[in-house]
Amino acid sequence: MNQEPTYLVLNHFDKDIPEAEKLLVQNFNDSKFEFNTSLENIFSDLDSHDNPASSHMAKIKELGKQYKVNFILLNKIEHKEDRFILDGLLFNTRSGGLIHRRKINLKQYLDGQLNELIMWVGNTLNRQEDEWQKNRETILFMDPEGITYDKTPMGAAIRSLIAPGWGQAYSNKKVSSGVWAGVEASLSLALILSYLNYDKSAKSFLNNTKMYHTTDDEKLVSQYRSSAEKDWNDHIIYSRLAIALASATGTGWVSNSIHAWVFGPRPYTNIYQEWETSPKSKKG
Amino acid sequence: MSDFYKFLSLILFGITIVFSQVKLDVSTIPKRVDIYLDGVNLGRSPISNERIKPGLHKFEIKKKGFAPLTYDLLVNPAQAIKLDFFLNPIYKIKFKTEEKGLVFELNGEHRWDVSFIRLDLEAGDHFLRVFKIGEIIDEQTIRVDEPKRFNYYLKKPLTSR
Repeated sequence: MNQEPTYLVLNHFDKDIPEAEKLLVQNFNDSKFEFNTSLENIFSDLDSHDNPASSHMAKIKELGKQYKVNFILLNKIEHKEDRFILDGLLFNTRSGGLIHRRKINLKQYLDGQLNELIMWVGNTLNRQEDEWQKNRETILFMDPEGITYDKTPMGAAIRSLIAPGWGQAYSNKKVSSGVWAGVEASLSLALILSYLNYDKSAKSFLNNTKMYHTTDDEKLVSQYRSSAEKDWNDHIIYSRLAIALASATGTGWVSNSIHAWVFGPRPYTNIYQEWETSPKSKKG
Repeated sequence: MSDFYKFLSLILFGITIVFSQVKLDVSTIPKRVDIYLDGVNLGRSPISNERIKPGLHKFEIKKKGFAPLTYDLLVNPAQAIKLDFFLNPIYKIKFKTEEKGLVFELNGEHRWDVSFIRLDLEAGDHFLRVFKIGEIIDEQTIRVDEPKRFNYYLKKPLTSR
């Protein structure tokens, strides 16, 4: 003897939804479904009654006996503009009463209506599967706070702060990546060279000064003096150059990071004019 | 003895009131959404085992960052009614064009003629109409499925053809 509940399923859809019956049978193969489209209009006036359950009790019981089912499941689907409304009613054929009603009101969710139908039927059978929930989640638009991206402007900025041009490369902007990396590398190299020349001039100046004080030879004194004066001038020039280059390198480094953030990876869609000619010619 | 009958009547009346009400469960996606029933805040979703009288009721569902939903429902006597509401998120959208002299219209409501605009749009499909010198030059549906920027061009670049 079959202990599983049996159902008479009445689908009232304002638009044809192919596969609905097939999917119900596939998903609930341990339950017995009877589908009947000839009974379409029996419950169309349901909401006009003060008590729809009692007003149809006799009919429900009669259908229960006729189709030998425990329950009658009425699924009404309406489409109002971009809204999808599923009104599910579950009647017990033994009492004739309406035992459960579920309304689902969704916007722009037309791809998900079959899944919702299955979830509603599953609900009446006390069955919920993760797959249905996952299907629902994949169709629904995401909560803006829950959206995560693989690449972000902040990720680009941090990378560029570590190595100039890296953030731009991460954002697939190869030209600006090369330019920033080249400029920063050149500035850094110039800074290092300026510092080395400054250091060399300073040391040379100290050395020439020392030599200048330790000799009495007029020729050598003159030579050390002119060398020390040149080293002094060079050390000032390289010192100023190093400071200027350090400022330029630092400013460029930060600018490169800001640039990586401003032009960092953000979602976008390019849309192009669809009408290629004038509206008159398009309409024919 | 008459007190007993009064008490019994009251009990029966109470039972009638309680049992004539319909058990109400409200689930929403996302969760923790404020649910208002006929202007009264029922609390945050999910709501279960709430009681509701049969008749016409107005539900209002509100959450910051999502489009509010108002729903009129005629509740008929039943053992239970379960309502599922899915709120549609609102995304921050930027719309940019480098084309000159265009006027854009979205969903037949919002118009702009500037090259860059920020919009808060409900997720889903939106109808875009483009005008140039007073004539419609383009109509298309754009899908808003995440916060993003739309760049509008009159012509596709040759490389992408």
